[in-house]
Amino acid sequence: MIATLVEGKELMETVVASVIAGVGVTSVFAIAIWGVGRFVDLSRDERQLAAGGAAAVAALALAAVIAAVVFGIIVMTRK
Amino acid sequence: MSSDVILVIVVGTALAFDFTNGFHDTANVVATSISTGAARPSVAIGMASLLNFVGAFISISVAATVANDVVNADVITPTIVFAGLIGAIAWNLITWYFGLPSSSSHALIGGVVGSAVAAAGFDAVIADGLVGKVLVPAIVAPILAFLVAGLSIGIAYRIIGKQRPGIVNRGFKHGQIISGGLLALAHGTNDAQKTMGIITLALIANGSLGANSDPPLWVIASSAAAIALGTYSGGWRIIKTTGTRIIKMDAAQGFSSQGAGAAVILASTHFGFPLSTTHVINGGVMGAGAAKRFSAVRWGVAGNIVFAWLLTLPAAAAIGAATYGISRIFGTGALGPLLITLMALSLVAAVFVRRAQRVAPVSAAGG
Repeated sequence: MIATLVEGKELMETVVASVIAGVGVTSVFAIAIWGVGRFVDLSRDERQLAAGGAAAVAALALAAVIAAVVFGIIVMTRK
Repeated sequence: MSSDVILVIVVGTALAFDFTNGFHDTANVVATSISTGAARPSVAIGMASLLNFVGAFISISVAATVANDVVNADVITPTIVFAGLIGAIAWNLITWYFGLPSSSSHALIGGVVGSAVAAAGFDAVIADGLVGKVLVPAIVAPILAFLVAGLSIGIAYRIIGKQRPGIVNRGFKHGQIISGGLLALAHGTNDAQKTMGIITLALIANGSLGANSDPPLWVIASSAAAIALGTYSGGWRIIKTTGTRIIKMDAAQGFSSQGAGAAVILASTHFGFPLSTTHVINGGVMGAGAAKRFSAVRWGVAGNIVFAWLLTLPAAAAIGAATYGISRIFGTGALGPLLITLMALSLVAAVFVRRAQRVAPVSAAGG
């Protein structure tokens, strides 16, 4: 009875989507900031190769955040 | 003719409700960005207002739920919708007067359910929709936002580790432009749709639209404009009180709380759950605060929110039911709603004057 009253599947999908989007975006954005921080430190130490790697991590993470936001908005507009 | 007059009153009342909804909720949407210094108040409010407007256009799932899944449209009349709106507005004013944090969304649904029950009995309520799409998500969503914000800030702090605070703060402040924008978009899409749903319900009840119709474009556009204008108007009051009323948090907490709130509201909106955005945003803020330091959260405020939430549905329902009863004393025509509208406007004016008279001596003393 409760199962029919409560939109169980949709509610569960809401929970899963919220956790993935909320935790995922914040975590990946934190990786981007970590990458920027490491890039600044490593550049100062003149370790160019490692600094380049940190910058690439930061850029990829930032791109992933922007992609996730755009994807979320597209999904919203499609229903 | 008479039902058209009532319909005009309903549309006007619903848009007024939408405006006050935006006015009320500006603080929730922009507070975190202003508090962490991520955006100047004027920029945060302007952006929130614009994105509330845009957000209203990206989905109609919640509007469909409010119009079709809460009360039985076959037995609903424009007068029932009108009485429900009065129930919601009255409860909003009462809670605003006494400083209780309440949900405009739950007041709206409570008001309509109460007036529908008064008019047509409990058969007028679609129990599956009310429980499955309103009550259960209402409980789950704020808890979910609390957990998501807490978990995400915990992971973010671990990833950042011992990076320079300057870089971390600047990074998350920039990030808050995205997370704050998303939150405003989410707020606009969920909250404006409730008004769209109510107007659509009234149009269906009046015979102007067929059963299970989607909101027409003019309904979407006017609801979007009303909530955006409300957000813009409400925001200017917040500038003066930002420093005293908002919990102090760092930029990373601001980002995670806004991200969690936006994620929960957008995901729920996609499935047509009409949430209290106020509760979700507060849940996110508390989660981000509690993850860093449990005592940082004002748990007394959380208790007040729960108390007000428990009261909101039955209180708005009772006022909606009483309004319908009073309206019926004057028959089924437009006279009842017209008189009640005049009474309500007089009451609102009196409340504002009384409130202003109370505030004036304090301001004078302070100045």
